[in-house]
Amino acid sequence: MNPASANHQTYAQRLWRHFRADKFAHYGLGIVIALFIIAALAPFLANSHAIVRVADGRITFPVLLSLEPIEWRFLIYVLLAALIYFFRRKLQTHPRRFLLLTCFFVALVELWLGFSHPINDPSNDRERPSSFKLMPPVAYSPIETTPDQFSPPMWKHPCGTDSTGRDIAARMLHGARISLSIGFVSQSIALLVGITLGGLAGYYRGWLDIGVSRFVEIIECFPSLLLILVVINFTGSQNNMFCIMAVIGLTSWTGVARLVRGEFLRLSGQPFTLAAQAIGASDFRVILRHLLPNALGPILVVATFGVASAILIESSLSFLGFGMQAPTPSWGDILSESRRYIDFAWWLAFFPGLAMLVTIMSYNFVGEGLRDAVDPRLRIK
Amino acid sequence: MSIPLLRVENLGIHFGSGENLVKAVDGISFSMAAGETLAVVGESGSGKSVTALALTRLLATPSARYASGQIEFKGRDTLRLPESELRALRGKQIAYIFQEPASSLNPVFTIGYQIQEAIELHRPEVSNVEAEIIRALHTVGIREPEKRLGDYPHQLSGGMQQRVMIAMALACQPDLLVADEPTTALDVTIQKQIMDLLKELKQKSNMAILLITHNFGLVADFADHVLVMFRGRIVESGRTADVLRNPQHAYTKALIECVPRLGQKQHRLKVIDYAGIE
Repeated sequence: MNPASANHQTYAQRLWRHFRADKFAHYGLGIVIALFIIAALAPFLANSHAIVRVADGRITFPVLLSLEPIEWRFLIYVLLAALIYFFRRKLQTHPRRFLLLTCFFVALVELWLGFSHPINDPSNDRERPSSFKLMPPVAYSPIETTPDQFSPPMWKHPCGTDSTGRDIAARMLHGARISLSIGFVSQSIALLVGITLGGLAGYYRGWLDIGVSRFVEIIECFPSLLLILVVINFTGSQNNMFCIMAVIGLTSWTGVARLVRGEFLRLSGQPFTLAAQAIGASDFRVILRHLLPNALGPILVVATFGVASAILIESSLSFLGFGMQAPTPSWGDILSESRRYIDFAWWLAFFPGLAMLVTIMSYNFVGEGLRDAVDPRLRIK
Repeated sequence: MSIPLLRVENLGIHFGSGENLVKAVDGISFSMAAGETLAVVGESGSGKSVTALALTRLLATPSARYASGQIEFKGRDTLRLPESELRALRGKQIAYIFQEPASSLNPVFTIGYQIQEAIELHRPEVSNVEAEIIRALHTVGIREPEKRLGDYPHQLSGGMQQRVMIAMALACQPDLLVADEPTTALDVTIQKQIMDLLKELKQKSNMAILLITHNFGLVADFADHVLVMFRGRIVESGRTADVLRNPQHAYTKALIECVPRLGQKQHRLKVIDYAGIE
């Protein structure tokens, strides 16, 4: 980002160095990344189909054949992100060619997904005779019912089973993708709306500020969970993940907007804003390049707390029967079922609860680590 | 005198309205030639900074109103230029340095990046930006500029920060540098260094400087002409030597008398007696 000669670090490198020094933040980020990888690889970690199966002299990959388009997308794009990360040095030399290539690749993937149809095979490969098979670590699919009802945690079912004999470990691995993507996407929507409205209000002040502030106050008057329930009811978006993401995002931006407005009010009164305008920077540039990076610390902290709370909101929705519906696996749904059997099936509440606790805590550690790293004034030691 | 670089005609800037109307600048006129140094002197609230910011319409507009007059810079009225042309003017032809270098630099970016921004905005033709930044830092007397590029503002001393601000302002070789109390926040020895630097840079580049200050000591040493502002009006103007030697207006006399001198025993510094002025 800056014209650094070899012995100088870029802004991002400095951030990373200070972020890494914070042990909790570092481990938190590790856990968050691990969760994303688990979410991306969920079909390979828990599936009733074999990863590789050799039968009658033919090698097949049953898991790959059973993947839904959305699962392919998750898998391919996470892999793509990992590839870009590892080859970032080489890619920097031809940024334009690289961007073009990526766009082409994404278009190709989307085209292929548009025409492909997954094979819906309800059978499982556990008992099916084959000369060689490699099963996933959890050999059950998340929606598959088995005769073992309310099995406590044991070797076969590491986290036990529920009332219809579905494997909790499999449901949690697949549920991770729902919880994580809802947290991530809905908070991105909230950030987008909140930063735009709050930023405009804080920078331009005047009537725009009054309008936005009153609007925020009106939105905040609604009990947000009830508002979400009403919106879901009226739009009939129950059990549609993207609608739930959008609804959560569009009802939780007010905190971000208020924070950004306040930060921008404070920052636009600082002489460096005037100095930026005085060297001929446009309003757009002043907002994006000068004010936003200065407000990034608190925004990131709020955003990570927001991701955590979006995950909680999704579980509350599932708990109330408005979120993702069974048999779609989500942590909130497992928890909501556990309520009825809590006096004997402790594992139903314990594992999803633990997963949520770990996820939310990791996000909070990451947020706090980022806050400290972003603020250069805290670094003088 | 040749065609003026800057001509301000009957400029009026008001804040508020109705009973709260404040005429921060109340119909002032002056002009500056290319390469000239003009000092604007006056106490806090006399309208000098507002005048400086008005030159490129930098005042926050809902609260400030450009009530009257025109500002002609190289024959163009900056009060009526569209915003895009104003942006091309700011930094490129009229550059600013401000009072507090510590808060005028963006705290989250390295100084190299901030100078780079000025160059990228106005001089897209420069191919080796890094060399240009190093050159800019070198001209303002920063030692080993290659090593300072990656420093953040808070890692520099006040004097160094002001040098960086000057480097930013001069990176695009402006015709007019507006220095709004450039040394007020610095201690006296650094003040001297910064003013010597400005003087030296001015001799090299034939750039005009509008120096805003309340310090008559700086004026005597530095400016060709001087304007004295009091409550939004210009009460006296002329060549620096003339004004200092023979002040006409009561306020100017009072201001000059406030400056403590070496060798004179005074038990108390003089205070301006406003009743006698109006």
